[in-house]
Amino acid sequence: MPGAAGCTGRRRRRVEGAAKALPEAIAALSRSLPAGPSPEIFRRAKFDRPEAAPVLWQLLFRVLLPLEANTTLTDLAPETQARVVKSALSSQGYPRSALIQFSEGSSQGSRELLLALSWLLARGPLLEQLLSQTRVQLGDQLPQYEALARPDPPAPHVETESPVDLRLVEWLMGKLRFRWRRLISSQQEQCTLLSKIHLYTHGCHSQQSLGHLSVAETDMLRDPESSQQLLRTLESENRRLEAVLEWRRGELVFWQWMDTVLEACSLESPAVTSQPTVLPVISDRGLGELELVKQELHALQEELQEAAAPRRAAWETQVGGLGQGPEWSTTRKALREAVKQELGALQRSWEPCSSPDQPQRPHRLVRSEGESPRPKGLQAAEMIRTLSSQEACLKKVLHQLQSQCQQELARLAGSLPGLIWILAPGH
Amino acid sequence: MSIVTVQLGQCGNQIGFEVFDALFRDSHSSQGLCSKRENETYQASCKERFFREEENGVPVARAVLVDMEPKVINQTLSKAAQSGRWKYGQHACFCQRQGSGNNWAYGYAVHGPKHEESIMNLIQKEVEKCDSLSGFFIVMSMAGGTGSGLGAFITQKLQDQYSSSLKMNQIIWPYGTGEVIVQNYNSILTLSHLYRSSDALLIHENDAVHKICAKQMNIKQISFRDLNQVLAHQLGSVFQPTYCEDGSLHYRRNPLGDLMEHLVPHPEFKMLGIRNIPQMSENSLAYSTFTWAGLLKHLRQMLISSAKMEEGIDWQVQPPPSGLPPLGKVSVHKDLHFNTSIANLVILRGKDVQSADVEGFKDPALYTSWLEPVHAFSMWKTQRAFDKYEKSAALVSNSQLLVKPLDMIVGKAWNMFASKAYIHQYTKFGMEEEDFLDSFTLLEQVVASYGSLGP
Repeated sequence: MPGAAGCTGRRRRRVEGAAKALPEAIAALSRSLPAGPSPEIFRRAKFDRPEAAPVLWQLLFRVLLPLEANTTLTDLAPETQARVVKSALSSQGYPRSALIQFSEGSSQGSRELLLALSWLLARGPLLEQLLSQTRVQLGDQLPQYEALARPDPPAPHVETESPVDLRLVEWLMGKLRFRWRRLISSQQEQCTLLSKIHLYTHGCHSQQSLGHLSVAETDMLRDPESSQQLLRTLESENRRLEAVLEWRRGELVFWQWMDTVLEACSLESPAVTSQPTVLPVISDRGLGELELVKQELHALQEELQEAAAPRRAAWETQVGGLGQGPEWSTTRKALREAVKQELGALQRSWEPCSSPDQPQRPHRLVRSEGESPRPKGLQAAEMIRTLSSQEACLKKVLHQLQSQCQQELARLAGSLPGLIWILAPGH
Repeated sequence: MSIVTVQLGQCGNQIGFEVFDALFRDSHSSQGLCSKRENETYQASCKERFFREEENGVPVARAVLVDMEPKVINQTLSKAAQSGRWKYGQHACFCQRQGSGNNWAYGYAVHGPKHEESIMNLIQKEVEKCDSLSGFFIVMSMAGGTGSGLGAFITQKLQDQYSSSLKMNQIIWPYGTGEVIVQNYNSILTLSHLYRSSDALLIHENDAVHKICAKQMNIKQISFRDLNQVLAHQLGSVFQPTYCEDGSLHYRRNPLGDLMEHLVPHPEFKMLGIRNIPQMSENSLAYSTFTWAGLLKHLRQMLISSAKMEEGIDWQVQPPPSGLPPLGKVSVHKDLHFNTSIANLVILRGKDVQSADVEGFKDPALYTSWLEPVHAFSMWKTQRAFDKYEKSAALVSNSQLLVKPLDMIVGKAWNMFASKAYIHQYTKFGMEEEDFLDSFTLLEQVVASYGSLGP
């Protein structure tokens, strides 16, 4: 090889350094993942070795499901786990269809699994999300209303084989309503008890700005064993955080390596990469419904125009030349302002009530006496205002839906003359 | 989780006192047939639900007393204080100087709005003293004046103000041969209003309780106190602590919520009846022994045959045969007496309760076709004995038990209404004939819904 000995030595060290960087990066990645597999598994996966597959299936299962669902589903059979992984991946838009071919839980496809994992890593803050799932909470949190603000996935359309008695459905709805009310009562209880703990431990916290203990901290004082447990959990969380930092420093090497994995894949089966991306399928019925909605919208628009035109004409003739002179300017401005506000309100009521300034990071619940303004943090009053405006927004939507239902009922009642409708006792 | 009781009128207050007394006596009884620690847990659970602590240690009932005249309230307060074991809160009562003359409309349309703020404030104060509120008991008569009209009004206000809390009305169903001439009007107005604003109507029939006193307890001169004590016993046997279903041997925290979820989730079916067994005088108790098999067999037959009590059960009534009826004459007469249930809750208390076999209650023939026994039947139990009974069983049933009495009352009220008798007593306080018609419509619907449960 050309070059002086010193140059070669430098290059060799560089090559050695580079050679060490990859295993270290993979090791860091493995330590940052919950139940991360050994770095050796990654290497075997590149060569599509069978022993890597089950481990990677389990890892993907753990990574793709939210934590609460995970704890109840750990005893699922590997075949079922694999199916869940595939459906979760495709619902997130994973483009490679090769994974779907592999039968559930077989020992094939470890390379494809590795590619799937990297795709997840590359596309979003996966490690941060996983870390926040297992975050150690020392303070008390706001109750779980945040879960309600997120838009939930559309409910699956269930086709039943035999007709279901309507009374059974009403029975089940009623049970749901009771559970809902009991949940609210439990939350109120939680708030009362939290408030008591905060009140009773006032002055116990070393940090003046906090002033009182949280439930976790009170527990620690009462039970030394739990404080040992907490310490261990904190230490393990620290280790994962450090691993993530290390991974961030060295991840470039990993991505370069993943390029080679992708190449290896495409070399072996070129047909796979040329497959079109799998798109979500709109059923024929869905398309038909879309057509219907479009037609209905057209019809509504025409109706509106037909109704508006004569009214506008009539108004014009009535008003005539009024409102044009300079003495009308203030009135006109006021009117314009009022109309703008009305339109704005209308628009807001039609838009889905999204959660505006929801706190991104979890906030610790702190009870403070008096009016001392806090420099940072979210005030309860502000939170209440946000929630109240959300509530008002949702109420408007509810009223609209209810009046739509009433109109529909009236239309149905009117269409069958001679039939008497007795509505159920109102709620 | 705590229950706040609102005692309304003479009836409500007298019964309320007996209920708290029964609960307290039972939770402090030494005949629980269980360990000391078990007893203490039982006591604590009952206490959290129905009483609260005050400074000098005497438990205070979580209750608000309401009446339009002071006599009964004062009697109730002093009876409780006299016992020295528990009492009512000092400022927990609301009363006026004059009565309401047994006029439902006056109670609903005049007393109600006039005193709404004071009464709701009292309730609010009591609620604030609960760490966690499960819901409300509202004890009232159905056919009287104050209790009924005001009770209907207050239940509506509770619905508005505490919409997430549960509400159960303990309703006293009047004697069939009652003295108040407009009692049927009052009854249908009360029931229809409560059906709209309450979650569950637990009905106590005076006739039934009277029979129990006469036949089972052998009481010669039956006083209201005797009736009320039987009633209190029945309620106690339902709401005293029982174990959670998960077998953890913890007492369930929210029996009211559990009961409602099991029995009354459907808005058209809210009427509940109570039966319990055994029910006898202390003298007879000394000479009796019971087995779970015997108790449950009798309780099941009481359910099927709509019997009010253990004595005189009609053993001829049987569930209709599944599948095709046999050839030949089928006795339609029998079918009409069979009581179809929507949902049942059986509560067992006492010795060897684990050995009790409730399979007889899981028979699908007992239930309506659209709800399977696994959803329709539930059981609570504890080995801690209740009151003085080594073994006792109670049944809370959502079934056709009350259809006949309801139908009778609606029929009688309709006959009076058809000739507009006494209507002016109501319309002069702002009520309208529309209100009566709405009530009739609603209750006819209820009767029809329950009637259509059959096989």
